[in-house]
Order: sequence, then C-alpha cells, then structure tokens
Amino acid sequence: MAGLSEKPQALGIDQESAEANKNSSSNKKSVHNRLLEKDKEEGGQGGDMSPSAGSSIKRSGSRPQLDVSKAEIQGNVEEKYPTILLPNQSDDLSHLALDIGGSLIKLVYFSRHEDQSTDDKRKRSVKERLGLSNGNRRSFPILGGRLHFVKFETRKINECLDFINSKQLHRGGAESPYADGATDGNAIIKATGGGAYKYTDLFKERLGVSLDKEDEMDCLVAGANFLLKAIRHEAFTHMEGQKEFVQIDPNDLFPYLLVNIGSGVSMIKVDGDGKFERVSGTNVGGGTYWGLGRLLTKCKSFDELLELSQKGDNRTIDMLVGDIYGGLDYSKIGLSASTIASSFGKTISEKKELEDYRPEDISLSLLRMISYNIGQISYLNALRFGLKRIFFGGFFIRGHAYTMDTISFAVQFWSKGEAQAMFLRHEGFLGALGAFMSYEKHGLDDLMVHQLVERFPMGAPYTGGKIHGPPLGDLNEKASDRNSKYLTPISIIVTLSNSDFPTQISWMEKFLRKGTEITAPVPMTPAAGTTGLGGFDVPLSRGSSLRSDASALNVGVLHLVPTLDVFPLLEDPKTYEPNTIDLADPSELEYWFTILSEHLPDLVDKAVASEGRTDDAKRRGDAFARAFSAHLARLMEEPAAYGKLGLANLLEMREECLREFQFVDAYRSIKQRENEASLAVLPDLLMEIDSMDEETRLLTLIEGVLAANIFDWGSRACVDLYHKGTIIEIYRMSRNKMQRPWRVDDFDLFKERMLGTGDKKKPPHKRALLFVDNSGADIVLGMLPLARELLRRGTEVVLVANSLPALNDVTAMELPDIVAEAAKHCDTLRRAAEAGGLLVDAMINSSRSSKGKSSSVPLMVVENGCGSPCIDLRQVSSELAAAAKDADLIILEGMGRALHTNLNARFKCDALKLAMVKNQRLAEKLLKGNIYDCICKYEPAS
Amino acid sequence: MDPRRAETGKNSDQIQSGHVYHLALDIGGSLAKLVYFTKNDEHIVGSEKKKSPMKASGISNSSRNSPVLNGRLNFKKFETSKINDCLEFINSMKLHLGGCQQPESPGSQTITIKATGGGAYKYADLFKEKFRISLDKEDEMDCLVAGANFLLETIHQEAFTYMGNQKQFVWIDKNDLYPYLLVNIGSGVGMIKVEGDGKFERVSGTSIGGGTFWGLGKLLTKCKSFDELLDLSYRGNNRAVDMLVGDIYGGMDYSKIGLSSTTIASSFGRAISENKERDDYKPEDIARSLLRMISNNIGQISYLTALRFGLKRIFFGGFFIRRHPFTMDTLSVAVNFWSKGEAKAMFLQHEGFLGAVGAFMSSDKHGLKELLANQKVERPPSKLSFSLDQTQVPQQDGELNGDESIECSVYGA
Repeated sequence: MAGLSEKPQALGIDQESAEANKNSSSNKKSVHNRLLEKDKEEGGQGGDMSPSAGSSIKRSGSRPQLDVSKAEIQGNVEEKYPTILLPNQSDDLSHLALDIGGSLIKLVYFSRHEDQSTDDKRKRSVKERLGLSNGNRRSFPILGGRLHFVKFETRKINECLDFINSKQLHRGGAESPYADGATDGNAIIKATGGGAYKYTDLFKERLGVSLDKEDEMDCLVAGANFLLKAIRHEAFTHMEGQKEFVQIDPNDLFPYLLVNIGSGVSMIKVDGDGKFERVSGTNVGGGTYWGLGRLLTKCKSFDELLELSQKGDNRTIDMLVGDIYGGLDYSKIGLSASTIASSFGKTISEKKELEDYRPEDISLSLLRMISYNIGQISYLNALRFGLKRIFFGGFFIRGHAYTMDTISFAVQFWSKGEAQAMFLRHEGFLGALGAFMSYEKHGLDDLMVHQLVERFPMGAPYTGGKIHGPPLGDLNEKASDRNSKYLTPISIIVTLSNSDFPTQISWMEKFLRKGTEITAPVPMTPAAGTTGLGGFDVPLSRGSSLRSDASALNVGVLHLVPTLDVFPLLEDPKTYEPNTIDLADPSELEYWFTILSEHLPDLVDKAVASEGRTDDAKRRGDAFARAFSAHLARLMEEPAAYGKLGLANLLEMREECLREFQFVDAYRSIKQRENEASLAVLPDLLMEIDSMDEETRLLTLIEGVLAANIFDWGSRACVDLYHKGTIIEIYRMSRNKMQRPWRVDDFDLFKERMLGTGDKKKPPHKRALLFVDNSGADIVLGMLPLARELLRRGTEVVLVANSLPALNDVTAMELPDIVAEAAKHCDTLRRAAEAGGLLVDAMINSSRSSKGKSSSVPLMVVENGCGSPCIDLRQVSSELAAAAKDADLIILEGMGRALHTNLNARFKCDALKLAMVKNQRLAEKLLKGNIYDCICKYEPAS
Repeated sequence: MDPRRAETGKNSDQIQSGHVYHLALDIGGSLAKLVYFTKNDEHIVGSEKKKSPMKASGISNSSRNSPVLNGRLNFKKFETSKINDCLEFINSMKLHLGGCQQPESPGSQTITIKATGGGAYKYADLFKEKFRISLDKEDEMDCLVAGANFLLETIHQEAFTYMGNQKQFVWIDKNDLYPYLLVNIGSGVGMIKVEGDGKFERVSGTSIGGGTFWGLGKLLTKCKSFDELLDLSYRGNNRAVDMLVGDIYGGMDYSKIGLSSTTIASSFGRAISENKERDDYKPEDIARSLLRMISNNIGQISYLTALRFGLKRIFFGGFFIRRHPFTMDTLSVAVNFWSKGEAKAMFLQHEGFLGAVGAFMSSDKHGLKELLANQKVERPPSKLSFSLDQTQVPQQDGELNGDESIECSVYGA
C-alpha cells in the first residue's frame, strides 16, 4: 500500500530513465554499427550489458544463431509482412499502441525477433529440393516478432511516459537509428480510449510524439476479433471457480456480443471485422465499483479493493430473501433464502455507521452487485439480438474469479442455462491491441492461429537486447507496488531498490542478484495474505466459489512466427488435440510436476556442465532452477494460468525457460559423445542387417528403432540404465529383449504394406517423413538404418528434427553432420544424402550449390519448427509443411512425439508410431502395461 | 339484481367474528404498509394526533339507501425497523377488532388479518404474542398484482407519466390493460409480467433497488431517513461524482455512438481519480448520483425485460419512487433513452401500497372491487378518485409521509 505513493520510487524512475537515455545516446554509435555491420546482433536480451556482466551472457536466448544479413531484403514489398521487415522506415518503427482509459493505460508494443537462422545451407538445399524457389513468397525467412502487453494506472501516466521513453518505444525501440533521444516531432503513436484526447498535449510535450486517435469501439472490436481468431485458447468459461478454455472456430465466430467493462460498460454487437454496433451499455461498471469502494472503504486502489472482497461476507450488507422471509425461501417464484433481495439493503435497518461494517464485506457486496447487474443486462441484450455468445472483457474483470463467477452465474441464471458467459485472457488489452492493428501494413490481419506462440518469460520485456531499460517486473513494481500482480505479465516480482539499478544491467542480472527474494511465484500481497503457494484459502460464501484468484491468468508475450503452418497431413486439424495426457486431472498434474521437479537438479547440472561450469553458468543455473520451480508452483496453484495446459506445454516451458536463461543446449556434449559412440558401431550393425532376409530385416529394423529409443535423457529410468553398460551393449541387450507381441503390435499390418503378401506387392511409398527423437543410438542405430531401408525401396526420406534443442533430442542443425558421418560407411546413404543436398552442405561448408542432383532418391532433413520434446502439429515449420505435401508415410518415433503427443492423432496418409514406454505410470495409464513396453502402432490412410 | 344484499349478509356474519374493518398489511424489508377502511361517521382518530389522514366528514355518499358503508380506504406506512410503532398503531386503533364501535373482547379471541410481504412471515410470532393477531399470509406477488390490477382498472387517474416535471395522467382502457410489465421497486426490484387477474409471472428483477439507494446512501451521507436522502438528492449535482463521457473525451461528445458529453459513463467513476475523501463530496451530490444510478439501471432492465416479452406498457410502483419527481424523471429518461423514445415509463398514484391493497382485496369479502366498478358507472369518476389528505412534501422528522386515503364505499354493516 505504501509503495503506491512513495515519491522516492517515482523519482527513481526518472533518474533511471535519464540514465537509460544517457546510455542509449552513448551507445548510439554502436547501435549504428550494429545496423551497418549486421552481424553483431546475435546478442540476446543481454546484448547491451555492461562489460562486467560477463560475455557468455551475450548469447541469444532463443535462437542459436542470428543472421541479419537478410535485413536488406526485408524491405521487399513482395514479402508477406513487409512492415515488420522494414527497420529503416521511421513510419514503420512505432509499433507501439496505447489505450488510455479512465483508470488504466494499456500498452501493446511489438519487438522484432532476433532472427531465426536464416542462412543455414541445409535450409537452402531443402528449399530447392522442395521447390520453394525464390518465386515463392516464403522463399525468404520472414522475421517474426513479439507482442508485449503492459499496463499502467492512468493517474500515474508519467510512469507510462517514462517507460516508453526508457525503451524508446515511440521511436521504434533502440534499434532505430533515431534512437538517440532527439525529438524530431514526427513520430506518431496510435492511441485509443478517452485519454488519447485528454493527454494529447502531454505526449507531445514529454515525448514529442503525436497521438493518432483511433476510435475506441473500432479498436475494441478489432482487438477482440484478432484475439478470438488468432489465439487458440483465448476464450474460456468460468463457473464455480472452474475455468474451461473454449476453442472458437474462427469461421463460426460471428455474431457475438462483446461486453467491455471499463469504467463504464459498453455492449457491442459484432457481426464481423469492422462490422459492429454499440447496442447497449451501463454506467454501473468498474468505475462505480472503485468509486463507491473508495468512498466506502478508503482503499487506495482498485486492486486493494478487489483483494478485500475475497475475505468478505456480503450477508452483513445485503438483504437476502431469507432476511425478509424470516429465513425461508420464497419458493413460489424460485427465490432461495440466500438470494440477494436488495444489495446494501441490510444497512438500512441497522443502527450501524459505516465504520461498523467491515470493508471486506462492503467490497464483496459491491462487487457482486455490479458484476451481477452487468451479467443480467448483457444477457438481456444478447437475447434481444439473438446472439449466442457473450464475451466479457475490460479491466474490471482482471481474471478475478469471483467477478467472473458472478457474471457467469447471472448469465446462466437469467438464460436458464442457455447462454454462457465467456472471458478473454487478454481481456484488458482489446483496445490497445485494436489500436495496434490499426497501423497500416503491419500484416497482422492475416495472421493465423498457428503462427502465434505464447511464451511466459520471467524477464519480460524480452526484446532481444535492442531495447534499453529496466525489466518490466521491476518497473511495474515501482509503478504500482501492490498492483504488480495485475500489471505485470509475469508472475515473479523481483524487488529492487533504486541503488540496485544501474542501467546497463540486464534484467537477468537483477534476477540473479535478487533471485533469493523470490519466495513465491504468485506476487506477494502482504497486507491481504490470501495468496501464496498454499492456494485457495478464502472462505466460501454460500457455496459460491470465492477463491483467491487475483493473479489467475498470466498474459505472456506473443511470439509471431509467420513461418509456422498447420501440418497438412492432419486428418482434421479442427479436432486435433496434441496432448494425450490431459493435465486437467489434478493427480496427473501433480505426478508430472513431481517428475519435473525431481529431474530438475540433474538438468541444471547438465546445463551448467554444458557451459564449462563457469561461475556465470552456475549462477544462471540457479536462476533457471528457481524460475522453473516458480513456473511449476504457479501452475500447480492455477493450472490455467498460462492458458490451456497439456503435458507438451509443460515440457516446452522447461526448454523455453532454459533458453531464457541462455542455456542454448544443455545436452550438447552428451549428444556429441553419444553420436560418436553410435556412429562407431554403425558399420557393424549395417553389415548385420544386410545379411538378413527381407522379412527378418524389416522386423530387426523396427526392433532396432524401439530398442534404440531407450537412450533418452528425459527418462529417469533410462538415465539410471546408462550406468550399466556401453551404448552398443545396451542397444543389443535391449533389442534382444524385444519380445513380440509388443504392447501395441501392428507390425504385421505394416509388414504387409511394405512387403505385400504372396504376389501382391504394393508400390513403395513415395515419400516418408521420419519424425526423429534422440541423438546417439536412437538416431544413428535406430532411425538411420530404417531410413536407409526406405531409401533402398525407392522411398524419399525426409528426416524431421527439432529446430531448437530440447533435452538430448537431435536437431535439424546437427543432423546433416550425423548423416554425413554415417554416409561414409554406406553408399545408399551417401547417394541419397547427396541427392538431398545434405552431404554437400555438410562437407563443403562454403558452397551453396547442390550439384549432386543425381537420380537417386533423396534423403533430406527439415526442421519441425519447435524446440520441445513434444510436437504440436498445428504449428510446424513451413518447410515441414511443404515437405509433407508429397508424403504418403509418416513415422513418429519416441515418447514425446508418438506418446505424450499424437498417439491419437489421425493422418491423411499411412502413419507408424514407434516408441518405448519409459515411464511406469504412463505405461499403466495409456496401455495398461509396464515400463519398457513397446508400441508399434500402424494406421493406414483412411 | 342485488348482489350487494347477499354480500351484506355475509359480511354481517363477519362483524360478529370481528374482522369487518378490513385491515391489511404489507410488511416489506424496509417499510410496513397498512391499508384499512374506515366508515365516514365513525372512523377513529384515536391516538393519532398528527396529520390524521382521515377527514371526519365524508363526501356525501351514495344517494341510495343501501347497506353500503361509505368511508375511506386509508393508507399508512411505517419503517419495518420500527415495527413496534406499527403494532402500537394497530393496537391503538383497535383496527383489528373492527374499529371502536366494536365491543372489545380482550384476550378472548385470536384475530386474523391479511398480511403479505416477507415480514408477514418474519413477524408472525411478534403479532401473535403481543396482540394475539394471527397474520393470514397472502402471497406477495399475488397481492402486488391484485393491487395493481385493482387500482389500474378502477381508479381514474391512477397511472401517469412524468417527464421533465410534467405529470400527465394516462387514461387506461381497462379492456386494453393487459399484458403489462409491473415493476415493483421496493428494497429490491421485482418485474412481473401481468396478463390478467391472477395471471402473472415474475420474469425478472434486480437486487439494486430502494434498499440499495437507502443503504448506500445511509453509509455515504449519514442521512437519517430515506426521505432525507431523497430530499438531498434533489438538491445535488451528480457531475461532481459521476464520470461523464465528457470527462473521458476531454469535454467532447462521443458522437460516433451517440453519446453526448453529459451522458454518465460511469456512476461514481469520478470518485476514482481524485484525491478526495468521502467528506470532500457534498452529500447532496452523492445522493443525486446514487439516485440516478439506481433509477437508470432499473429503467434499463425494465425496458429490456418489457422488450423481451413484447409488453408495451411498463408500470413502476413500489416505495422507492414515492412520487419523488426526480426519481420518476430519471426512470422515465432511462426508459426513453434505452427504448429510443418508443416506450414510456408509467407510474401509479398508490405506488407503495400495491401489496397492501392486494392483501386487502384478497378476501374480497367486502366486494370493494365490484362495488367500485359498479359505482364508476353510477357516479362521476372524479368522486371515486383518491383524494389526498396531506402534502406530498417529504418530512424531515423521520416519520414517514404519504399517509392518505381514498374515499370509497364498501359493503358492510
């Protein structure tokens, strides 16, 4: 509470931003240099750190390599997303938009990705192979970017101005050549909300920018339409404390009623993009709650008031039906004794003064009254216009469980269950997002669901080291101490005093320094004390859920990855659900959290070792462990905090978290060692296989894939196993133990397709996509021999591997070298690799010509677009999507891709799912089997 | 044709049993309403010294010599929190025994009177203990609707509109009365679709009603009574408290969606942004803002509900309104605004007494309705319309005003 009005902190910001300015101007030259040289931008978010911070932190957190040489062609008008790619046009720099409401300022800004590795020779050859010629608009990797969401209180508008200034957002961020603090007065920022008018002069004065006013309703609707169409699980229902995400079909979205609850409430009938009408509204809204609440309770902020409500009991304030009927229901008209007959009605008859009532009770009664009223009026309007969906947004809701429950209850009650209230995760940002959308040529209009990935970094804003300034968490801490949980998109608040704030230190440094102060993933609210790891300890009020849910939903950073596509071979992308395990089941959730927690120390050790156990690596390892534990704890408390949660999301979050702490590849050395060991025994294996007859060979190859899949650092059981022998020993032992029938055994069916029965031979597959799993024996002794067999039969083979490292999974970057090494021992592989352009790239690094256009069927490598042990086939790389066009066989291998995800996925072509179950619980749950059971699931094209 | 004689006989019996003078109660969450009948000649002033609602001399009654009792239907209210005052009043007037001409038989009998409202349940024991009065509970909605139907059908100039200080009586063709929406604003708000006598359904409602106005008002202004609060609101200016469209748009209209700069964007929204404490706001302004917020909300929900069921008329009744011009005006403006001028809010002269009248009617032993309906033909309607006995100006003494009476006749002794 005190922090709200503390002047020293506000001063701190000024001082801090002044330093930031100084810093950025002193860095002016280097910024220019970077732009000119175009080769130094590989610095991650730590790229502008002080020299003392340690050079190893300068690595890119998210993409292993950065090549900005393509910057020149970013201006190509043929590009799909030209404005994102035009760093030198000042008009396009201001990817900042504001929504200045009566109570809060919402900011949406865009930062460019550090580039994906664009100059990878393997990719070039793949593109040529797959016909992705220069004429194709996808021929150049399109730069994505990130959308950040930030909030400030309107009455503290100066802090917002400081924030913008410190990050030079109004100049397009520090990457801009004009980022020297000079005011040229030409910059324009899109803004909406009433304050866009009111504060026009202030922005001109302080930042030298003009606010370009966008109509509020236009923005709201544009923002809502964008979110509902582009984000898969944006909408959710909330009944009795239970969140349920709703997948909205973008083609069946309209019409709907959008209820925006700000200071007042607007109700808008939306019929399509840009087609809408404000049909109703009410003046009893968020401002009423806060205004009346302030007068009645002396709360200092909206959030404090909201927090109070969690401990309230409205029965002391409201007149219930039971109060009137002497405790009886008024059953004739269906009113129970606990129904509120008159809000605040009880305060009439008592001889009490205001001070005699608990502020908590008043707040709750007020909240309920207003929420319920909004729900009721909304429903009546939806009914009036025949709208089946009602979406509630705006800052009044704030992910507050009781508010959402009350609105939902009202809608449910009055509609007799026929209508449902839905809420939006980005509820408060509709207007700001809409204003952002109003920039011409941002190209976001056409963005599809599959091109957006939401991440929840600890150190947002996460802007690739190009933008100076304090981390978001810290700034918001200052902006509004108590409110930080609402105002930050992240859940960890790092407490910092001003003295800890030298400008050139990255957010991570601060995280490291102050990391010990992170006691809980849920922002702390000392006065109220209702949150914490313990969970939902708020008293229930007459059975209605009243949990402490203040920080229920985190709004992450939206990564726009225009190169992602839906895997075209999915039978029905609409009904496809990647996760096999639904973590909505609390026991399941707990199990996986335990697994991940137990695995954490080992992972940290690997990660630190991968960087030579330097002090810096150790500190980052600690920080990573804390951060990831915090994520886990946060999710344990509120599984829906980051949206719909599946096991794949959880595993991916771990990898993202590692990358955030700049562990690029924790298993690098292990992978290398195992690749080498496996490659050494490959010739013997190939010889053994070649001596077999066709039928035995096929079986042995499949057995080999399953056996080699045992080498998995993601499985605790397997890690223990490694101490008992060498790779080839374990491989042979494992293969010999393969006893058919396997737990799921469609081998005979697969064999029939491959070899035919009797004289009936089917033509070989045209192209097979092999989704590979681990490095080492798995790829070398398992998948490569299988690929070789397919090649021999005349089937093109595309090895599909991760874009980014995850555990010991092999990556698309590593594969060419492995294939090249293997090709030394095998002609088939060599010719195929040559034909696929792999060998050339791997051996002659400088040449990009793929001369080996022989007639041999090619072996190719494509990246899958993700950096997780699992794969969500709704979001794969465009090159995989292109490669899939001609494919008629899919082989998914390993637990992550064939079990945790996609076990139940159906494809348009033949699909073979191979995995060894290396987890007892999973074996029991999915297969009613045991650990080390095998799965060979073959599903012919339907 | 003489149904009246039959009725008379019946009523005569009831004189013996002691409930002739027809007292009925509606005990709501905030107010207890009484309706009782007094004969012109014999009604009691009793202990009521101040502003007796009754006139000793009735207007000359029916010229015909009939067993019809000429007298007045009296309306009186008490705060429910002062239920004892109400009991005292009943006791002092001996109303439950049929008035003073009726010999008392103390302690010997339990008297039954019609009552409705939640308090009929809650205070049943109290009535029983103190005065051996047994409350015969009538359903609240039944009473409300019966009361409204009765008043609208029989009393000329019962319904009126009120806009911009213009009160305009609406003549209701009783053959074209139904269906209508009855919005009863008591502590809470009930919205009832009425399709005929005894044919109705509670279709909606809201907990933001008179109790909210008074309750919040009491907490915010330290007013001692509902009327004091109303009075304050009359003098206030909500601009000090409410966030108007102009506040957000820097004084401009948001013309694109047809919101003028003076439209309230957020009730009490201004209390947010200023560093003022409660004491820095004028109680008048707070009361005004509160009244507008609640009236506007009720008007809106009422209109939407009427629209939903295709009801062309909306009648507002209940104690919140109190014929308070500003309240009525706000409700009218709200209905007018949301309906884009297509619907009009209508009010009832006896807004607060619907339930009590309905309870009074519920036995219909007195044949009042029929009589009045008949008399309407026989006598100039104006004679049957109510006459107020006292001023409508709110009193500051905490005593509730609005006691009044309707001159009428009933079958009786």
